[in-house]
Amino acid sequence: MKKNLLTIVVSALLAAIFVLILFVFQVRQSEVAVVTRFGRPVRTQSEPGAFFRLPPGIESVYKLDQRIQSLEDPFTETLTADNNNLLTTVYVGWRISDAAAFFPKFKGGSVIDAERNLKEVVTQAKAAVVGKHPLSDFVNANPKDLKFDAIENEIKAILQEKIAANNSGIRIEYLGIKKIGLPESVTQAVFDRMTADRKKLADKLESEGLAEAQKIRSSADREAAQKISVAEGEARRIKGEGDAVAASYLPVFEQNPDLARVLLESEALETTLKERSILIFDSRTSPFNLLTGSFTNKLSK
Amino acid sequence: MDSGAQAMADALKSSFGIVKFVMSGLFIMFLFSGIFTVGPQEKAIVLQFGKPVGDGEKMLLGSGAHWSFPYPINEVIKIPITEVQEVRSRTQWFLQSAVQEAKGEIPYAGPTLNPAIDGYTLTADGNIIHAKATLRYHIDDPRRCVFDFAGKGTQQSFGLVGISNAVLNALDNALLHASGLTRVDDVLLDKIAFQDAVTRRVAKLVSEQKLGIIVDQCIVETRQPRQLDMAFQQVTDAGQKRGTALTEARSYRDKKMNEAEGNAVARINTAQSERNAMVAKIRGDASIFTDNLASYKRNPELFLQQHLVKTLGTAIAGVDYKMYLPTSADGKPIELRLNLNREPIKQGSNETKR
Repeated sequence: MKKNLLTIVVSALLAAIFVLILFVFQVRQSEVAVVTRFGRPVRTQSEPGAFFRLPPGIESVYKLDQRIQSLEDPFTETLTADNNNLLTTVYVGWRISDAAAFFPKFKGGSVIDAERNLKEVVTQAKAAVVGKHPLSDFVNANPKDLKFDAIENEIKAILQEKIAANNSGIRIEYLGIKKIGLPESVTQAVFDRMTADRKKLADKLESEGLAEAQKIRSSADREAAQKISVAEGEARRIKGEGDAVAASYLPVFEQNPDLARVLLESEALETTLKERSILIFDSRTSPFNLLTGSFTNKLSK
Repeated sequence: MDSGAQAMADALKSSFGIVKFVMSGLFIMFLFSGIFTVGPQEKAIVLQFGKPVGDGEKMLLGSGAHWSFPYPINEVIKIPITEVQEVRSRTQWFLQSAVQEAKGEIPYAGPTLNPAIDGYTLTADGNIIHAKATLRYHIDDPRRCVFDFAGKGTQQSFGLVGISNAVLNALDNALLHASGLTRVDDVLLDKIAFQDAVTRRVAKLVSEQKLGIIVDQCIVETRQPRQLDMAFQQVTDAGQKRGTALTEARSYRDKKMNEAEGNAVARINTAQSERNAMVAKIRGDASIFTDNLASYKRNPELFLQQHLVKTLGTAIAGVDYKMYLPTSADGKPIELRLNLNREPIKQGSNETKR
């Protein structure tokens, strides 16, 4: 009995596995399944899990990647509204939004086929939008005049319109400009202009530096002279104070001008004869007049 | 039952026994096949009938041994997730190999730029620069990052290639946008501000596109085209010359002002000293005058004589040469010849040459 029970259980398990393989299919988190019956799509399943199906031969299950796919269109040249040749590449994030519409459009729901088709549409939309804008909408120091985001939104809007008209079952998640450039022949002209600008800037820096240095020097000379002249004025004032004090003593000397003169003259004499002086005096000069009639005088007689 | 039938029955019985043994073994193997290990630089996500088990961080299984029902019940997805992810944008940079980049070598540049080979971007004033960036981020929403973004050629497989591409596209766009808004001198000289502008744009795109990541760091490098290195060097040199000229001028100003300050102070000090000396002298003179006035009034002639003699005596003591000329006997004037150049000329002295 026990042996029969084990056999029954194992047999039942094997049968269950067989049934699962034949009648059940799984949809993973990032997938959407398209179920066809005798080649005709009958339903789609986008929620993950296990689902019932009829055996192969009657129903077939095609699993499509529902994740956001990334594509870049070729680096193509377009004339802007102000006749500048501009090369651009945009990147697009897209995904399958309606598997039932997508599957019949592209053989076997091929993402590669869908991308090939989408690239052409993206390039057309891009050319249409770039041609409507001047170069200053792509590069501009004024944030209000820079139309970068607006250009991207315009391309995205045209793309979504065309996709919707085509009923491709695709949704554009995001779009952005990835790269811009100028034709090789134009870069030389840009380099020449940049070189001239740099030379102009270099000359300006040098001359500005010299002029500013000159200003600093002349300002320093002026301020120094002013400082000295102010100090000179102050020195005169201080000396004037001394003169005023000296003048205040004048009444003292006015008591006897003769005595005052003698004292001043004798002081001057002392000061004059202090250094490197030769003094020649004769017998009339006091106190040397005491030597008159002395031995030397007797000889000279 | 005859012997043949009996033998058949016995053979079938043993066969069934073997089959049962094999089936049991297969069943046990089936169960054990659910054991899996996750490496240190990996995380694992278990899909049960295609649906992830758990939410947010709980969805990710860390390193170690785990068990789940084997396929087709469960499916284990292993993803190489490190703490910090990194993408590098070189779309706006000139062609440079990884080896050259590591060594810091700048490859030779032709006269122009082929936009298909050498990447660059345009600044707000229509100039050309090269820019590259390295963005470091970590995954904030693993469900979004793993299950919503497909990389090229990764159909039916899971990983981080898709989200990495999406982040890289955002970074490329941010470099373009930031440079298109900034003048060439600001891009090249105010690198921090430019880097901040790129980081802000990336953060904005990450938020708008719901990429499920958090930006940790964005490092941006910019340079002028290699063809214009000399022209830009001229500007740098001119800037340095300007700086030198200004430094010298300021140094001259400091020296001049210090000298003037010293001179001014010296003049004032001299004036003060002279004033003080003058005041002290005049006071002294007044005092001498006052002290001698009474004596002078008593006998002016005698006072004068006395004072003169005293003065002469003091003065003569300090005189270098004193000569007494006696009166000639015949009363005629005496001729006196003097050699006034008394000091000998010193050999090699600049003072005497002056």
